[in-house]
Formats: sequence, structure tokens, C-alpha cells
Amino acid sequence: MDRGMVIFVGALLTFSSSWLGLVLYPYWQLQNEQPYAKSPGDDPYPRPLAGQALAGVRVYQANGCLYCHSQQVRSEKFGNWWEDGQMKTGADIKRGWGARRTVSRDYLYDRPTMLGTMRTGPDLANVGARYAEPWQHNHTFNPRAVNSWSVMPSFAFLYAREKVVGGQKAAKALKLGREWTVDPGYRWRPTDRQWEAILAARGTAIRQAHLAGAVARVDPDSPAGRAELLEFWLTTEEEDYQVVPTTAADALVAYLLALRKGETPLPEAKE
Amino acid sequence: MAPTTPMTEPERERSARERRAIDSSCRVPVLYFAASAVFWLLAGSALAVIASVKLHSPYFLTGSPEFTFGRVRMAHLQAVGLGWAGMAVMAAAVWLMCRLSRVGLIYPKLLVFAGTLWNVGMVLDVLGILFGDGQSVEWLDAPRYVPPFLVAGLGIVSAWTVATFRRRRERHVYVTQWYVLAAVFWLPWLYTVAVLMIFWMPATGVVQPVVNWWFGHNYLGLWMTPVAVGAAYYIIPKVIGRPIHSYYLSILGFWSLALFYSWAGMHHLIGGPLPVWLVTASVVGSMMMFIPVIAVAINHHMTMLGSFHRLRYSPALRFTVFGAITYTAVSFQGAVESLRDFSEVAHFTHYTVAHAHLGAYGFFTMIMFGLFYYMVPRLTGREWASPGLIRVHFWSSAVGITIYFVALSIAGWWQGRMLNDPNVPFANIVRYVTPFLAIRSYIAGPLMTVGHVSFAILLTANLMGWGRQRTGGPTYFVEPATGTAGGPRELAAAGR
Amino acid sequence: MSPTDFAVLATVVGSIVLFGGAAALALGWAFRDGQFDNFEQGARSIFGSDEPIGEPTDAFPGD
Ligand code: HEC
Repeated sequence: MDRGMVIFVGALLTFSSSWLGLVLYPYWQLQNEQPYAKSPGDDPYPRPLAGQALAGVRVYQANGCLYCHSQQVRSEKFGNWWEDGQMKTGADIKRGWGARRTVSRDYLYDRPTMLGTMRTGPDLANVGARYAEPWQHNHTFNPRAVNSWSVMPSFAFLYAREKVVGGQKAAKALKLGREWTVDPGYRWRPTDRQWEAILAARGTAIRQAHLAGAVARVDPDSPAGRAELLEFWLTTEEEDYQVVPTTAADALVAYLLALRKGETPLPEAKE
Repeated sequence: MAPTTPMTEPERERSARERRAIDSSCRVPVLYFAASAVFWLLAGSALAVIASVKLHSPYFLTGSPEFTFGRVRMAHLQAVGLGWAGMAVMAAAVWLMCRLSRVGLIYPKLLVFAGTLWNVGMVLDVLGILFGDGQSVEWLDAPRYVPPFLVAGLGIVSAWTVATFRRRRERHVYVTQWYVLAAVFWLPWLYTVAVLMIFWMPATGVVQPVVNWWFGHNYLGLWMTPVAVGAAYYIIPKVIGRPIHSYYLSILGFWSLALFYSWAGMHHLIGGPLPVWLVTASVVGSMMMFIPVIAVAINHHMTMLGSFHRLRYSPALRFTVFGAITYTAVSFQGAVESLRDFSEVAHFTHYTVAHAHLGAYGFFTMIMFGLFYYMVPRLTGREWASPGLIRVHFWSSAVGITIYFVALSIAGWWQGRMLNDPNVPFANIVRYVTPFLAIRSYIAGPLMTVGHVSFAILLTANLMGWGRQRTGGPTYFVEPATGTAGGPRELAAAGR
Repeated sequence: MSPTDFAVLATVVGSIVLFGGAAALALGWAFRDGQFDNFEQGARSIFGSDEPIGEPTDAFPGD
């Protein structure tokens, strides 16, 4: 039974080790972490999300943004590339995804913590510091309205296209050309027939608007001129319709704006 | 113990009757699990192709929230990970345990109930995610109302597998039983702890991803892998009629897997905001995985030595051996991938996706197909309806996963190198991977789906009784070598 | 210690005892029971008189 006993104890230890080591130990090591305040009286960082931003987490979760976006900035020493025969490191920071790496304290209040495993799109840990609200709405509504090469899905279903009442657009209405708003989620162009009809009905007004802004003048009745007129018209806003964010879209953007990990310096995140 | 000397006809008859009785005792629940698994495989394939297309053609099916990429991606993983893999493992576990313990299953209806719980859970899971209740915790995306169903179903299956083992009449505990027992032991607990620590009583901050990857990696390592390896340890010797090369190695492989695999998960978090020692510990665990992997590789290879020609004649063997070889390949790759220098490039890219599919599909799914090809006819008493369709299944699956793996590995590797170089604009990276993703959408994915549809047709035909009633001895597909000359008998003789 | 901490601690410690113990018991039992005695013999336990060593048991249907 001697040998049996050795194996008995050995197996108990090795088996338990992973549960102990990988789950319990980090749990105890990290559970007492506190928000950081440089001097007493300063606002502590991080702070729990509240209100709209908190609701935005659900929208982010439900639509699986995690599957294309990470939320972690890696250190200055991470990864490498070659430039002029020299090895350099720390692409995340160089790409402007954060001023410093993120550390466990940055995630103190995240529920769930969405570090992510795929970077089909850029890292979002600090995206709140990069863009303002209108940009975020335009981009979420249809990323290709901002970056033509984007493969990010359009989240037009979080927006409502509605008739403008009283001639006055809502303050929140997106400022996007009609090519993006007529058929939400897609890039719209009129068929030749439609375009003829539109020209017949409102051609003069469109021509005038175009002339007002045009730098180089092309003969408006030549094929090139007509094509240019169409392009111009597509980039102008719709008159009778507007696209406004739903509560879900507002919540999502509030969350994106609140994503500012890596903005406040922390003593343990030097790189 | 197995007689190797010529046996008498009555003995043979008795032994065959016993085997048939055992098979028929578990027929209903095992086939139910198997058919459900294949259903979820089909659903998962459809979701996979949609998600894949959307990743390079964002206008495809845009506009409906149910089909936005993120949701389809979550639903896909749940359908294939829990639906297909989960239920296939359970079918395999129950059947292997009955056969190897040489006892019939008691109260099969209880298992049918467990399978129904699991199916209900899966329907809620997939639809719940599509309608906006997904959790965005990889592998644990199921909405909050789903885990109770899954845990309950799983609990019953686990308890029943253990109960069957306890009633065993075969004295020797075969290596496959070790694997199966361990798996049904580990998963209920893994799953419960993970759900508890991430959703019900969330641990702070970065401990959640730690638990997340401890679960995610162990779902593969301590649930899918042991049962698939165990199945290979049964199917290969049975089909070629030759015991495994070194039984000692197989047991060594089992215990080293048990000890090291559970450590390996944290390399998914490399470079992340975690204590560095965690990732280091995982790298060590991943390296130690060379032991069980080499043990299994040598063993399977040596067992097959001299019998490779049988791959041409046996569908079960063909799938299983493909899976077993892939197991070695994918495990080596995994160990290397966990190294820091390597991970710095591969992390956050399609390279990891390719690796995951090589494991979950090239290894696990192929072995499960092999097992099903062996198991189902013995449960229904019918042959597969069409050898041609089996060939279509094998080749489209095998070629599909190969193209998938090669395309995404290349894409992922360069994606990683470019991500690490801030002088490369992000747009270039997006453009660079697009053609590879299109290959996946239009060639690899559809090929694999064709395989799955072929298999679903074969399974349906078999369950509906359209196949030929089995000829030959009661548990053979090849007639006993005692008869007159003929095709199958010659094969039998060739296998000696 | 908060109730959450306690629950987590209890789960983890409980499972260590349960699973580590079970594994150890299993291994101990296997030794005592002689599962590891006549090793190579074990590999033959899956064959029987209806499916003996030396006879393949699977082929494409109808071939
Ligand atoms: C199919 C993958 C995919 C999904 C899903 C996805 N994105 Fe993106 N995202 C991208 C890509 C690619 C880019 C870069 C191109 C661009 O700006 O559109 C990007 C860019 C962004 C940016 C701009 C980042 C920067 O630094 O320029 C934000 C913000 C963003 N996504 C938010 C989201 C949110 C919120 C969701 C979920 C509702 C989401 N994304 C879902 C792929 C995705």
C-alpha cells in the first residue's frame, strides 16, 4: 500500500492545484483591490457605471461587440515590429488605443469583464477619449458612412427613421447624407427612373444648392454634370425625414463614451 | 477476458446475444441524443455560414437585429459547442459505458427526459441569444434562464453514467471508461462554478475572464477531448480487431491529461491585465501536455501499423483515424501557441479561430462521426443506406476543415504581424483578411455543411428504417470469416 | 468576508475536496483492485467471443 499512498497524495495535490492556482488564488489576490485616489479627497478611479452608460453595457453584450473588439491595452513591451532595422515594441499604445497599458484595477466594476479575444476592429478600452457623441452615433448607425472599408455591422436597428414634424429636426437627429438614411443600414441610390422623377420635381432647387457650394462648374446637362449632381444630392440631408437614436442607441453610445480605461494614470501601470 | 483461440458456435451466439441486449437497452436514449446532436450541428452550420459571410460582406442580412454578426456568432458557438458537442459526448458516454461495463441501461426514459431538458435549454439558448439576451462571455453566452436546464440534464446523464459503471459486470475497467467517467465528473462542476462566479455572484473584474477561460478551455479539454480520445481507444481496436499497442501508455496518457490540461487555459489572456504568473503557469501546463499527446499519438499509430489499408473499407475507422491524427497535430500546435513569443502574434487573430476549429472539428467532430458510424447501425440493426453518401460526407468534411484551417491560419498570422506594427493602417488589415474569410464562407464552410447534410440524410434514413436490414452475424457488418468466400469475408481475412 | 466570498470559497474548497478526493480515491482503488496488475491483458477486455481479436468489425455497407 506504500506506493498506493504516494500516488494517492500526489494525485490529490496535482488535481486540486489547478483549481487552487488558477481560480482561488487570483480571486484572493485581487479581491481587495480598491479604486485609486492620488490624494485623499480626489475622485477615486475607477467609478462604477451608472444610468445610461450602465444600460449600454446590456446593449453591448446583447449585440456581441465583444466578438470583434477587445478592451485591453497591452504594455509598451508587448509585441514587436521592425522599423529602420530596429526592433520596436508596444503597438497598442502607438496605435493610440490608450496612453498606458490597462491593469486589473481598471476593471474593478466591470460586469461582465469583456476583455475580448478578437481584434477584427480596434481596441475599445479607451474609445470614449477618442470620439464625440455625434461621431459615435453616425458610426454605430452605419460604420461605412464613416469608414468606407469597414466590415463592422450596421446597427441601424437601434435607430428610428421618422417623419419630421413641424419643419424642425430633433436636436439628436443624425447629420448624415440621404444615401445613408433613406434605407437605414444600406447605402441607397435612386434608380435612373427615380432620379429622373426627382429631377423633374425638384431639379431646380437641387441645382441651385449644388451651384452654391460647387467649386468647379461642370455643365449641369452633360452626363458628367448630371452624375456630379447626383453625388452631391446624395450627400445632402433628407428634408422630410430624420434618423434619431432609440433609448438603446443612446445607452450604447453613453457606454462607449464612458469607456476611458487608461486615461487616468495608475501607479502600477507605468508602461 | 477475450478468447483468442477459436470458439464454438454456441459461445459465439451467446456472446453476440449479450452484446445485442446491451445495445438495445440503451437504444432509445442514445439515438435520441445522437439525433439531437446532429440537429444542432445543422443549425450551428447554418449560423456559421451566416456569421462567416457577414464578416466580409457587412450588407448581408443587415437590418434585422436577430441576424447581426455578434448574435449569430454567439448562437453558432452555443449550437455547435453545447448542442452538437455536448449531446454527442453524452450519446457516446452512455453507449460506451454500457458496452464496456457489459450491463444494460436501466430506466432509459430518465435519460430521454434529461435529453429533453437539454434540448429545451438549447432552444431557449439559441433563440434567446438571437432575440437579444446573449451574455457576451465566450462559451457562456447562454441567457440567464438557460443554465438550470443544462445543469439538470447534465446532472442526470452524469449520474446515470456513473450508476451504469457501478453496476458493471466486466471486471476490468477499460481505459475508455476512465476517460468517460472523468468527463462526466468534471463538466457539471466546471459549468456550475463558472456560471456561479460570472453571473450569479460575479467575482471582481479580471477574475471573471480568468474563470471564463478556465471554463472555456476545460470544456474542450476535460469534456470533449477525454470522450473523443476514449472513443478512439475503443473504435480503432474494435474495427481492426487488434488490441491497442501499449495499454500502459494509454493509462499514462489519461492521468497526465487529467493533471495538466486543466492548467492550460490562461494563455487566452496573454498580455492582458492579469498577474503575469497566471499566464506563465498556463504555459507550463500547456507544455506538459506533450506527455499525454505523445502517449496517445504513439499508441494510436502503433495500433494502426499494418492496418492502414482498412481505412479504405471502414467508414468508422476512416473518420476516427483522421480525428486521432488531427489530435496530435492540434495539440502540438496548441502547446507551441501558448508560448509567449508566438502568442504575441497569434492572440486576437483568426489564427486562434483556425486552431480552435482544428481541435473542435478536425479532431473532436471527426471522431464523433466515426463513433456514430460504428454505433448507430448496431443500435438500429440497419446498415447505412448509401456508401456513396458516406464518402461524400468524409471527403467534404475532411477537405473543408483543411481549407478552413490553412486559410485562416495564414490570414491570422499576417493579421497578427500587422496588428503589432502601428505603421500599418487598420484598414489594410481589414482588407488583407477579407479574401481568406471569403474562402471560408464560399468554399470551406459550405463543404463542411454539405458533409453535415449528407450525414443528417444518412442518419434520418437509418432511423426511419430505410437502410438494408443487416446481413451476416448479429453484430457484424462483415460476415464472420467462417462462411464461404465473398467480398466482406475477404476483407475480414485481410484484416488478420 | 462577504457572503459572496464565502460562497465562492465554499464552492472552490468543496470542489477541491470532492474532485481531488474522488480522483485520488479512484486511483487508489484502481491500484488496490489490481486494475494495473496484468496490464496488457486489459487491452483485450473489449473483445469477446462474438467479436474476437483478429476480426475486423466494420465496413462500408454493401461493399
Ligand atoms: C464584425 C465585427 C464587428 C462588430 C460585431 C462590431 N464592430 Fe466595431 N468595428 C469593427 C471594425 C472592422 C472597425 C474599424 C472600422 C470602423 O471604424 O468602422 C470597428 C470600429 C469601431 C469603433 C471605432 C473605433 C476606432 O478607434 O476607430 C467603435 C467605437 C466600434 N467599432 C464600436 C462597436 C460597437 C459598440 C459594436 C457593437 C454594438 C461593434 N463595434 C461591433 C468591427 C466590428
